Amino acid sequence: MKFKAVVTENGVSLLDRRFLPALEKMGKICHLFLTRDHAFFLHNLITTPDGIQSIAQFRKQALFEDYRISSQNEDRIAFAFDISLLLRAVRSSVSIISGEFGIANRLQVKLVKKLPPNSTQPMPFLTFETKGYKSAVIQDVPISKPLSRAQLLQLQAALDAAQDLPRTLVQVPDSNRLQNFVDRMKHVGDLLNVSISKYGDLHLQISTTLITLGAEFRKLLVVGDKAQAPSEDRDLSAQTRSGRAILMGDAQSVQVSIRHFSKSLQCHLAKPDCAFYGIAPQGACLTVIFQFFIPGTRQTDKSISLHCRLPVLDPGSS
Amino acid sequence: MSSSAIETDTSDLVCQLDNVQGIVDALSTVRWKRHQDAVVELSEHGIVLIVEETGCLQAKVYLQKELFIRYEYTAQGRPRFGLSLGLFVDCLNTFSVPGHSSTIEIQYPGPDMQLLIKSADSLDDCIYAEIRTRIPETISWDYNFEPAGSTPLSFTVKSAVLKEAIDDLEWPGSSIQITLKPVPPSVTFRGEGHGDLQIDLMYYANTDLLIAFHCDHQVSYRYKYKFLRATTSNVPSNVIKDNRGSKLTIGRGGMLKVQHLVSVARPSTSHQHTDSAGYQQPSRIAYIEFFVKPEEDEDTVND
Repeated sequence: MKFKAVVTENGVSLLDRRFLPALEKMGKICHLFLTRDHAFFLHNLITTPDGIQSIAQFRKQALFEDYRISSQNEDRIAFAFDISLLLRAVRSSVSIISGEFGIANRLQVKLVKKLPPNSTQPMPFLTFETKGYKSAVIQDVPISKPLSRAQLLQLQAALDAAQDLPRTLVQVPDSNRLQNFVDRMKHVGDLLNVSISKYGDLHLQISTTLITLGAEFRKLLVVGDKAQAPSEDRDLSAQTRSGRAILMGDAQSVQVSIRHFSKSLQCHLAKPDCAFYGIAPQGACLTVIFQFFIPGTRQTDKSISLHCRLPVLDPGSS
Repeated sequence: MSSSAIETDTSDLVCQLDNVQGIVDALSTVRWKRHQDAVVELSEHGIVLIVEETGCLQAKVYLQKELFIRYEYTAQGRPRFGLSLGLFVDCLNTFSVPGHSSTIEIQYPGPDMQLLIKSADSLDDCIYAEIRTRIPETISWDYNFEPAGSTPLSFTVKSAVLKEAIDDLEWPGSSIQITLKPVPPSVTFRGEGHGDLQIDLMYYANTDLLIAFHCDHQVSYRYKYKFLRATTSNVPSNVIKDNRGSKLTIGRGGMLKVQHLVSVARPSTSHQHTDSAGYQQPSRIAYIEFFVKPEEDEDTVND
């Protein structure tokens, strides 16, 4: 089992300033899944089924050059690590690279087995090596034992299952405002009802015995199945409107944890160009898909993708 | 739900306000613990919210109708209802967007006696809330505040100074003695508990701290520290920033009245042109009053 690559300058900036800070919010422990062509950062795919799943996928060229991988599992390697340690290692490498500018610094990353101090058992590490003009710094990030063949197949299966797309997706309005709203909403209750209609309505609601608090965003951009909103809907309250849309089969509603919903919005730290919410078929989960454009264009950058799946607490009505 | 025209007809009150954060600040001032029941009283003059700690401490927030951009009151008598203060504040807070002045509409009662709140800014986005109300409990103790004599016993102190003094008295804790003396004109806060701490505010020595002072004879009363602390612990930062004063008056029987002024003006930090809203309008102030009962004399204290 071998893995060795050089993290490109673009790769360093993607990880350091965008993806690792966003993924750190999803949870402390993350799986890195490396294949011949892709690197995935995965949260909660096989470990905790009731946690929020996040899937960040990079084509190897988006992060690395001189990418070499080999293993007996069709050249696939996966392991778990503490995301804050990885972030620290990348950050300090950045400071070394930028501290000695003008010299072609390379940040090499490789999988190693080392004997840690005061131990007789060799342990696996992901090692970052920065070579500067005057100095070379090696940082070892401890990682879990690489996943066994059976675990790897399980991870691959979970990853394949996590790729199904909701039929209707609505584009998230001003995400900062939404984040702000949801963060304040957290004080009022724990369970959030989310309904999404083919008319482009996103309706969020917390309902307890003492209070009902909701927000409705209308006329959002719809991707996938669309429908024309009935004109008599205009003067109705948000609750009546979404209730009617569900009855007519034009909307779906699920209940998720408001903490999960707030976490999913934290993915904006990865600076996506837009985000879409949708409910998976049969109300299996609430999916949020982040879209990244090729810098300076409005074209989707297909080498990077990020989406989260929020577990549904109550199948709701569909 | 019926159309809004019909709702308006059957409601005791429909009002709109354009500075949610100001109201949140004002209400938070009287939120001294997590779960607090409040009684709300509506009238043609405005909204009064009352919170109480059984028999010892009462606080009132006066939201006069001038704070609202629209205030339509049609009830007979003065409708009163109970609700959870914490929930009300947390709920209003979700309507407040930093950097924006958001307009909301409050209506009472809803079809099921709820308090209805909704945002009134945009047609395409809408935030709404329905808060369950209760039949209010009767106020257990009458906080009728009466002056102690012909001249009022009162002083006005910078809110920041008052808060700092009371925060400092946390160390001796337990009970705090407040003494007003005409000669030399001064106010003394004295705490005796785990240790002694005395804070003297001299009127002539420092007119910056003590803005006004009225006292014709020496008085001295003791108050429980935790109740004194409740009167300043959640004073919003804009009160401190605006360098406002708080007025303390001692009434008959040693009842202490603490008054704060909280600005509910529209945020003047908007990046657009500064219009008249940028100036502090005197009518855009919420009045907060706390009433603290003194501790009984030591020989009558049994517990």
